[in-house]
Amino acid sequence: MKLRKCLKHAFEMVVHSKLRSWLTILGIVIGVASVIAIMSIGSGMQESMNDQLGGLGGDILTLSAGFSRSSRMFGGGGPPGEGSSSSQATDEDDEPVLDKTDVQALRAIPDIEAIDTQISGTVDVSYLGKKGSVKLTGVDQKSWSRITTSEIKEGRMLDSADQNVVVIGEKLAESFFDKPVGLNQMITIEENVFRVVGILDDDGNGIYMPIQMAYQVLDDKENGVYDSIVIKIKNEDELEQVMNKTEEKLMLVRHVTEKTKDFSLSSSKLMEATRSEMMSSMSNFLVAIAAVSLIVGAVGIANTMFTSVLEKTKEIGIMKAIGARNKDILSIFLLNAGLIGLVGGFIGIILGIVMSALLPALMGETGMLRGGTFVAVNSIALALSASVLIGIVSGVVPAYQASKLKPVDALRYE
Amino acid sequence: MKQNSTLLHLENVWKIYKMGEVEVPALRGVTVNIKKGDFVVIIGASGSGKSTMMNLIGCLDMPSKGTIILKNQDISKLSESDLATLRGSTIGFIFQQYNLIPSISAFENVMLPLEFLEVDEKKAIERTKKILDIVGLSDKSHHLPTQLSGGQQQRVSIARSLVGNPEIILADEPTGALDSVTGRQILDMLHKLWKEEGKTIIMVTHDLKLAKYAHTRIELQDGKILSINQKSEVG
Ligand SMILES: Nc1ncnc2c1ncn2[C@@H]1O[C@H](COP(=O)(O)OP(=O)(O)OP(=O)(O)O)[C@@H](O)[C@H]1O
Ligand SMILES: [Mg+2]
Repeated sequence: MKLRKCLKHAFEMVVHSKLRSWLTILGIVIGVASVIAIMSIGSGMQESMNDQLGGLGGDILTLSAGFSRSSRMFGGGGPPGEGSSSSQATDEDDEPVLDKTDVQALRAIPDIEAIDTQISGTVDVSYLGKKGSVKLTGVDQKSWSRITTSEIKEGRMLDSADQNVVVIGEKLAESFFDKPVGLNQMITIEENVFRVVGILDDDGNGIYMPIQMAYQVLDDKENGVYDSIVIKIKNEDELEQVMNKTEEKLMLVRHVTEKTKDFSLSSSKLMEATRSEMMSSMSNFLVAIAAVSLIVGAVGIANTMFTSVLEKTKEIGIMKAIGARNKDILSIFLLNAGLIGLVGGFIGIILGIVMSALLPALMGETGMLRGGTFVAVNSIALALSASVLIGIVSGVVPAYQASKLKPVDALRYE
Repeated sequence: MKQNSTLLHLENVWKIYKMGEVEVPALRGVTVNIKKGDFVVIIGASGSGKSTMMNLIGCLDMPSKGTIILKNQDISKLSESDLATLRGSTIGFIFQQYNLIPSISAFENVMLPLEFLEVDEKKAIERTKKILDIVGLSDKSHHLPTQLSGGQQQRVSIARSLVGNPEIILADEPTGALDSVTGRQILDMLHKLWKEEGKTIIMVTHDLKLAKYAHTRIELQDGKILSINQKSEVG
């Protein structure tokens, strides 16, 4: 029998199949749908992770004072433009601090392109009678605009001649107060009045001002002591080498060893990369779990096929009596199993797409899925071919059994 | 004039069914020669081995001992797929219980043997239409078997047995499930095929009244041939 005809008969078998076959198909549907949904969540997480990574800048290092070695992993996680939030440098002598000695040491490293000294703290801010508290970062206005990865949305960045001016985050400008803050409006920060010269395109509500002004506003900060130093290196590809070189140099000038190190140098990019690696191995793990349900589905197909061979024994006998060869019977049953897989895979993909569209809403605005889910075309192709393959593989034994039936025995079967 | 060359020859054929330890001899040394164009009726008591003999003739089963020569070929020496093709092209089966595939239409049932023979689709459809017309079921061709009466189903199965234009038609109690009037119609149809198309027909029946159609009458008893009667004149 020609393959096309075998396919036709296999298809008729699926169409005329009983509830049991549809339940088998359901098993595959669930397996495929969960694989698709989980994979799409995985790639959605990956995608938003990549977005974040892209915004971090691979050529930025953040230096902060402190003993914590683990801070290299998890501290200073905020985008470098905002500086480090964790370091709490005070003027007490036993606390390690960052000051101009460090800056000079950094200046001497040729691989470093720019250095931005920062301090930050929480301040009260008011505009048109409305008050709130936000994060203030004092930056070196000469280098900040070159180092920060934030883009200006309106107005301009800080300039070296600037005094009583600030650049503010988009959210602060648009929705923090009752009325939006426009360019050249005055806002009051800790009783000092500042003019807004720029609004960032960053979705944040931070305030940035020249560091000299910030020392006046944040009165617990000691002049000449920095909370963090943001470093831009010349060549992004040499990030790790430069990082090591910088650490060595700083240890030298700060008279500390690897053990007594009192500062931390971190790259948000490297940290995020590690985090994203963890995420992807987690989503691989989830996919593996979903794959188990596919295997259960495969067992279901095999089971249905065995029952179906039994049920169709008489028909197999009839077909053999009227000229069917073993390989015709084999093809028909194999194709039938493959089709069950295909139909299950197809419905599963549709369900999976629907599920992955609904999941972000169900899980709420968790940061992980903010980027939405993402159903990759290759995961569809993969799921479809996998389910056909699963169908065929689990149909091999029953189909072979069917093809080997002796015509006379099969015909006698009731 | 129809009885010329030997089409089928059984030489000392034994069939022994093994049921665990017990051996059941269903055929015990059957030797018979069937010529092309013969109308053979096999009669005998229930359990005498008629169906067993039909299964062997139809290459659905292999003898335990002895040889079966069909169209000058020893069937025990043929491969599975050659046997299947031989069945498809030389033999048409008509069963007592019709044995149609329930999930496909009468038309598709009739066309099925041609699909196994890989006949060109256009020709197959034409041939199927023609055969359904011959058995008088053109108007019912898209019915499922369950939507047909017993007689109609048996006509579909006759059409199916004829569609590949086989030389031999094997019918194991073709009228067993039908009332006598319908049974007579089916018999007339077979008789016509024998007379007009020169088919070799081998039929098992219980009904001695139907045996009068036969040209050759083989009587089986306990797996052995009791008698072979041949009419001298074609009736
Ligand atoms: N598959 C089998 N296994 C064991 N014994 C069998 C098998 N098929 C047939 N027999 C035995 O072989 C003998 C002949 O059976 P067969 O079916 O050929 O009889 P029959 O002449 O066709 O009878 P009936 O007129 O009732 O159809 C019987 O005794 C039967 O019990
Ligand atoms: Mg019988």
